[in-house]
Amino acid sequence: MAAADTPSAALRRRDLCSRGIRLARKMRSDVADLLDIYVEQQGLDASISVAAVEGVPVAAADRWDEQTGAQRLLDNLAAYRAFRALLAQMLEELREELGSADAALGQALAAVLLQVSAFAYHLEELLQLESRGPPAEEGSGLPAPPHLSLFEQKLRGLGVLRELAQWAVRSVRDLRQLAKHGSGSGPASGPAES
Amino acid sequence: QNLNCVTHNLRKMVCTWDISSKRRHGQTDFCYTTDGLFLPVCFKTKEKRVEIPVPESSTTVKIITNSISGTAFATREFEIQKKDISFVPLTPRILSLRPDFSTSTLTLKWSDNGSVFPYGLDAFWQIEILRKETMEKVTQVTYYSKLTHEDNILSWNWTSDMPLECTSHYVRIRCYINVTQFVGHKDWSDWSPVEKAPGKDTEPNGSGLFPQDTVVTVGSDVTICCVHEEGRQVQRMSYGAEDYPLIYLSSRSSAIRVLNASASNASGTNIVCRASGDWMDGTVLFVGYAPDIPEDLSCETSNFVTIKCTWKPGRPSGLYGKRGTKYSLLERISGKNVSCEVNEMKKERVCGFQVLGDQRTYSFTLGVSNPVGQTEASLLVDLSQRVHPETPEKLTVSGNSSTSVRLHWFINGNFAEIRLLCQIEISNGHSEQKLHNVSIPGGQFSTYTAQVNTLHPYTKYQFRVRCSAADHFWRWSDWSRTEEHTTLEA
Repeated sequence: MAAADTPSAALRRRDLCSRGIRLARKMRSDVADLLDIYVEQQGLDASISVAAVEGVPVAAADRWDEQTGAQRLLDNLAAYRAFRALLAQMLEELREELGSADAALGQALAAVLLQVSAFAYHLEELLQLESRGPPAEEGSGLPAPPHLSLFEQKLRGLGVLRELAQWAVRSVRDLRQLAKHGSGSGPASGPAES
Repeated sequence: QNLNCVTHNLRKMVCTWDISSKRRHGQTDFCYTTDGLFLPVCFKTKEKRVEIPVPESSTTVKIITNSISGTAFATREFEIQKKDISFVPLTPRILSLRPDFSTSTLTLKWSDNGSVFPYGLDAFWQIEILRKETMEKVTQVTYYSKLTHEDNILSWNWTSDMPLECTSHYVRIRCYINVTQFVGHKDWSDWSPVEKAPGKDTEPNGSGLFPQDTVVTVGSDVTICCVHEEGRQVQRMSYGAEDYPLIYLSSRSSAIRVLNASASNASGTNIVCRASGDWMDGTVLFVGYAPDIPEDLSCETSNFVTIKCTWKPGRPSGLYGKRGTKYSLLERISGKNVSCEVNEMKKERVCGFQVLGDQRTYSFTLGVSNPVGQTEASLLVDLSQRVHPETPEKLTVSGNSSTSVRLHWFINGNFAEIRLLCQIEISNGHSEQKLHNVSIPGGQFSTYTAQVNTLHPYTKYQFRVRCSAADHFWRWSDWSRTEEHTTLEA
């Protein structure tokens, strides 16, 4: 459990949380734009269903409201570290597949990757504040993806971006909880406005 | 009755006959006399079938049918003329049928059984390709060969209009040997047993769409199939945004046929197959153009260190990334080959090549390829005739007289083997502009000097310089930066 809050720590946390919320909101809208470009550029049907993609952290959490603040931060950090690796992988695949042909998608993806990295760093800062150093990163990111056909690769990318959009929503709610209750656990109140 | 003789090898013939009587009969005495034999050859047989030599002209046959107790009850004589004999080659033997899934090509190998026949006979092979569970005939082809009195292995390729994974393909073959001097009836052999190239729809875990992530030329007709588990039903197959009529191949495979495919976008056209039980799979088809022959291939050197070749790519291929067009520059005299890094989005294409020692003539071939085609363009270049110097740098103007100045400038490059022609532009405020040409021995990464006379005293001038090869002019360098200088008072 974190030490009792000094006024300055509480202030610092609230500041970090509100900045984090703004980051997450911006990321969410950029991911939504990226999804549109991705679907259009990859020639996919926007309504296509994508099975759960291995290696992609799932935003839906059981007993989300009972989580401690620290647990929320740890879950978020693990997720965005995973997304950082997944998006980097997608960018690499895109360059290999399209070369310089689709700069728009590549740039949009790179921009979101930057935001995900920034958000992961921000979460580490928050964890520092909770005098709990962020967990070390495991290995060099994700294991090499299984050999996928191009269509499977396209669907996988879609699955990653859709889940990232869900995480951005969840992160706003998590940070709001953290700002309200600090790193201890606290009842989640009311439906979150995102 | 109905004595019928067939030869498979022009030397021996198999004669068969019927016995009209319903009585039970025992062995048959079979005698034949043929050219050159004084006495008939006789033997007993239980079957109504014997193998005897093919006669040069004719054979007389006597068939005595005996009863069970061995007493003759029917005797019949036949005169077999050469024309009465049929020639039917033996059924060909397929040695192998190999599918190459990457090219959808079947390779058939069979033995021509030539050792049985005299040298030089013409042989015709009818090859039939069958497909689907219903073994529909896809095509029938006649292949010609010459027999050489040896057993040769013949080989034949056939490219399917659909991926071989889609469903099983079957092949059978029969032959006809044109023995012109054989007067009897000549006929095709029997069909060989079918040889099968199994499709993925026969494999327990075989499923997916085929072809997988392939590239075709714009305008192609493409068959794409969807192989799924037993018991599922394909409901829809879409190409891009459009659903296509399904073609049934087997209980585990359906296909669509796209005609005159148009260019796909950079990420390819998705083909999605949806089947019962919420099953879905897909593949991607890239449709592009073969590369055009490069236009305006030109090579020059700016420094006798590297050679820069440029060209216009022609129509974009529509294929990108690892399917994009690859360029390589081969210099035939030295045999050196370099691959060129090219940005598909830029109009101009450039490739660098190191100057090779003191080689002056270069025979370049620019190779261009992408997954649906390749081409090339060639150029023979005498380097000394393709000098396009870099921009002169560090221009300085100095003067210790009222009517002349000295200019100094540096050019990056090794021009030791040529003379340079440099042009000095002299202008002053009164819109008076003069060009002063000087021919200078080239140097190695050196500074050059020239004097300009007949200037007006105490006048502000602007100077700039550009250079080119003196002996074989090719192109001027760009102008240097302008340098200002005022001549001394008189």
